[in-house]
Parts: sequence; C-alpha cells; structure tokens
Amino acid sequence: MVSFEPSEEQRLIRDTVATFAQEQVRPQARASDESGEIPAALIQQGWELGLTQAVIPEEYGGAGEAHSAVTSVLLIEELAWADLSIACHLLAPRLLVVPVIEAGTEEQKRRLLPRYTLDSFVPATAAVVEPRWDFDLSSLSVTATPRNGSYVLSGTKCFVPLAADAEHLAVFARIGDGDEVGVFLLERGTAGMTILEREKNMGLKGLATYEVAFDQCQVPVEQRLGGASGCDVNRLLNLQRVALAAAAVGVARASFEYARDYAKERKAFGVAIAQKQAIAFMLAEMAIEIDAARLLTWEAAWKLDRGEDATREAVLAKQYAANMALMVADRGVQILGGHGYIRDHLVELFLRNARGFATFEGLLTA
Amino acid sequence: MKILVTVKRVPDPNATIRVKPDGTGIVTDNLKYVVNPFDEIAIEEALRIKEKGGGAEVVLVSIGAKVAQEQLRTGLAMGADRAILVVAEQDLDPLGVARILQKIVEQEKPDLVLMGKQAIDDDANQTGQMLAALLQWPQATFASKKESLESEAEKNGLPGIQMANGKAQVVREVDGGLETIEVPLPAVVTVDLRLNIPRYASLPGIMKARKKELKEIPVAELGIDVTPKLRVLRLEPPPKRKAGRKVSSVQELVHLLHTEAKVI
Repeated sequence: MVSFEPSEEQRLIRDTVATFAQEQVRPQARASDESGEIPAALIQQGWELGLTQAVIPEEYGGAGEAHSAVTSVLLIEELAWADLSIACHLLAPRLLVVPVIEAGTEEQKRRLLPRYTLDSFVPATAAVVEPRWDFDLSSLSVTATPRNGSYVLSGTKCFVPLAADAEHLAVFARIGDGDEVGVFLLERGTAGMTILEREKNMGLKGLATYEVAFDQCQVPVEQRLGGASGCDVNRLLNLQRVALAAAAVGVARASFEYARDYAKERKAFGVAIAQKQAIAFMLAEMAIEIDAARLLTWEAAWKLDRGEDATREAVLAKQYAANMALMVADRGVQILGGHGYIRDHLVELFLRNARGFATFEGLLTA
Repeated sequence: MKILVTVKRVPDPNATIRVKPDGTGIVTDNLKYVVNPFDEIAIEEALRIKEKGGGAEVVLVSIGAKVAQEQLRTGLAMGADRAILVVAEQDLDPLGVARILQKIVEQEKPDLVLMGKQAIDDDANQTGQMLAALLQWPQATFASKKESLESEAEKNGLPGIQMANGKAQVVREVDGGLETIEVPLPAVVTVDLRLNIPRYASLPGIMKARKKELKEIPVAELGIDVTPKLRVLRLEPPPKRKAGRKVSSVQELVHLLHTEAKVI
C-alpha cells in the first residue's frame, strides 16, 4: 500500500541535483552570505541543470513530464541542504512557471512558458507575503478591484525574491473586498508597480528580496491566472508549503550532518564528543526529527500529485518542519560549542536561515 | 562516425569501503553505486566529439547485473544516444570482459571505442589493452590533453581527442610529460583523469533518457567462454595508520628519517 521508493527517474534526478549541490553550491554558501550576491556563473550552471525547463510541457518548448510535487521536494531538499539562498535564487523562476502550468489558460501558457525554456537564466518570482503584523494568507491586504474589464491592484507585498530583475511576477491578491484570492501575472515595468529597496534580512543574505508596492496598478483580465474565473489558489499555496517544508528539512539535515561530523572528530577527555551521551542524545533526536518532517512532507507532496486536497497535510508538514529546523539548527550550533557561534563554521548560517521558516511563505514552490 | 563507450557500475568513490570479515569481498549493504569516474570522462569525451567534432552516434555498453541499467541511464541522461547491457550475474575478470566487448564491437562496428583507463573498484587497467589485442586494433591509452582543466578550451567543451581523416590524435600522459600519438581508426582509446570535466546530466536529459533504447543481451547468447582465469584469494583492508610522533628539531627529524624510517 505504501511505498517510499522513488522511481528510477526520481532517484537519478535527486542524485544529479545532490551532486551539483555538493560540488558547486555548497562551496559558495559562505561567500554569498557575506557578499549578498550569488555568482552569475553558478546561476547559469543551475539553469543548465534544467530545474525550471524540466517541468514545462513539450508543446511549450520544455522537457515536459507531468509536474510532480514529489520529484520537486526531493530536489528542493538537496539544494536547500547546500545553501538556502542559492536554492531560492535558482528555483525562483518556478514561482511563476509552476502556477502557469498548474492553472494557466492556454493563452497564458503559450505567452509565458516558452520564455522560460531559453538558454540563459530568466528571473521570475511570486509576491505572496505582506508587511503586516497580522499577515494572513486567507485575508490578503493587497486587493484587486474589478473595474471595466480589468483589475486594479493596490497595496504592498514584501519578501519578494528577485523582484528587481524578474521578467514576470505572480502577485497574490484579494478580489475586491470578498474572500476570493486571485493570482495576477505581471510583466516587469508595469505602470503602477514599484519595486522598492532590497530588504535586509537576518538570514538568506545571498538572496535579493524586495518590497513591491502597487498603486492603482491596472491589470487586464487576461493576466489573471486561469482567466476571469480564476483558479484553485489553495493548491498553489499547498505546493509552496510543501516546498518550504522540504527546504526546512534540507537546512536541518545540513546542520545535523555538520554537527555530527564535528562531534566525531572533536575530542574531549580523550574521546570523540559524539561518544558522550549528552551529545549523542542530541544527535539522535535531531536525526529522528528530520526524518519525521521529511515523511510529513513526502505524504503531502504525494497527495498533491494525486490531485487531492492536501491542505491539512501541507500545513502540518510546513509547520512541523519549520519548528524542527529551528530546533535542529540550534542544536547544531550548540554541539559545536563556542566554535558554533563564529563564522568559521556554517552552523551559524544554517541557524539564521532556519529561523526564517516560521515566517516564510511563497519563497519556493514544489 | 560511431563511438562505443564502456560504462562500469562501481561503488561510489566517496563511500567508505569495508572488507567482509572472511576476506571474500567487500560489504555491499547500503553501498551507493555510480558510473566509474574514468568512464564518465569517456562518455563526456564522446559527447564532445559528437557535439563539436562533427557528429557521431554515441552507444554505451555495460556488462553486469540488471541494476547496471541505472548507470547506463545516467550516461543516456548526459546525452548518449542508446545503450546495451550485457546481462551477466557471474564474476568476470578483465579478459572475460574484453571478450564480451569484442563480440559487441563485432556487432556494432564502431569507429572508436572509448573506455576509462581503469575501473576504480579493482583498478586492473587491463581491459582496454586486451580488447585492442583481441580486435587487432591500434590502441592509445591514458588519453589526456595539453590544455588545463581551467582553460578556455575546457570551458567551451572542446574535445581533447582530435578526429580527422580516419585518424585519432591522442595526447597521452606518460612519465614526466605528455606524448602525442596518432592512431588509424578504428581504434581503442582509454582515457585518463585530466582529459575533461564531465557535465552534469540535466533534468530534461534525465527525462529524455527514459525514452532512449536500452537493449539487454544475456551473456550466454554471445557464445563465448568467460570463465575467469583469475581468482581472488583474499581481500584485506589496508593497515590502520599509526599515530605520528612529534620531534623537537629539524636535526632530529632528518636523523630519524635516515636511521629509523630509512627513507633518506
């Protein structure tokens, strides 16, 4: 009844991405955190891996298999393990492409998707989060008011990755003053949309995120995802949730593995500290929690692939993984003792990144 | 132009290898397997000849258990055109492998056979040479190139083996330098580590790989004797490195290197 065995193809995808993550991404993690920039060559190399092109159907120029949430969470964990900032940057175009594949009209697919099958990296993004203390996905403050066959967008989004360079933005907004949420596919430079300054974050320092303001921004109905009748936004949000859960598992695993390897090397009183129960118990608990969160994530992704409503599973997975990642990354620093607090080791970077999962939304999509 | 590339399924070189207590082999539980790294370089070179050197059909061949399909799929995902798996569950020695390859070469009639110079599992470094001898073909072993792996030529994915006028020009790694030789085709070329940096398979490549042909041939169908002439008596793990010793001066170090370690 239950199988946890990835298909041969999924295994090959995961192993390929894992090798790339380990050999190319991880070595850049510290430098991009310090400089706030990701080398262009690495971005291009990631693009050539086909992370975005792979989910685009053949008729729109992609490699075209059915888009799978399970395959996505497998590869997101590996990239996030290497570095969360770089993972988010490389995967950002999917924030636009996946919603269009899932819910776009034929015209929207034909207009947008071929742009994301070209030879060099095309930045794109989604605007989900809002700068409010009471931010609530089910009651957004960015509104899209219907007026004369188009929509007028007003309000402010924040934490929008790559907004300054994005060719297209998928903006999540409330329709009128009702409960319905719509997604709007905006082109860069749309009148009434202003990209504000780059945000300064505690973690994710390699990733450029921005506030984006909408002031009487007029959007034709053809740019509403799914057309005039809209689409199942809940499914899109669930795909984002499982992606974030998978990323949290990746960051936690990074910290766990770093701390475990350190504990096996570091000697105190003549033995490796991993031999001491105080450390061994911590490591064991970290491993248990990581696997637990991963299973929740896989179940939610599996349910999404079956086309079922996975809201409950996706929310639980994301919530659990966010708490777990913070606990594990904190332990990672703890196991390294004083060394954990200095920047010579990556565990402090993992902790700063892991802290964000409690608030992250819409940063990644499965 | 047709290039046949050999692909061996081997344990991940980054994995920790443990020898079974009875010395009959290594512990294979939970061991990850990959394409032999030298063979990966051979695949990359074949693809470069195909892409930048005027086109070629790249055919992969592996010999072993059915699971070796995974490694062939990896090669197909990198960009090879089709693959052949000679299914053989039994142990084989280099001569047995060379004989099987001889049969495949007779069937496929490639212009060039590209092989890793050795597999990282048993490090025999014999199969390529034996195959060339069985076929009575010229051979060029340890193919390398003059340009470094940081050079522009490497970044642009140019092949190191030059094919022209029915000949292959191969730069070989020899003691203390590089030697350039020319062999008439068809030929067997084995590749060394510094020939190229293999590409990553892309996700679209992986998806396309599933639709490519992977033909299985039972070894019995080839009608050859592959009984090993070589018998492994015993495997032993290398001795554990002893703890070092601190010395107080250079004089003492040199003295001990001379009298105790006897290396100078």
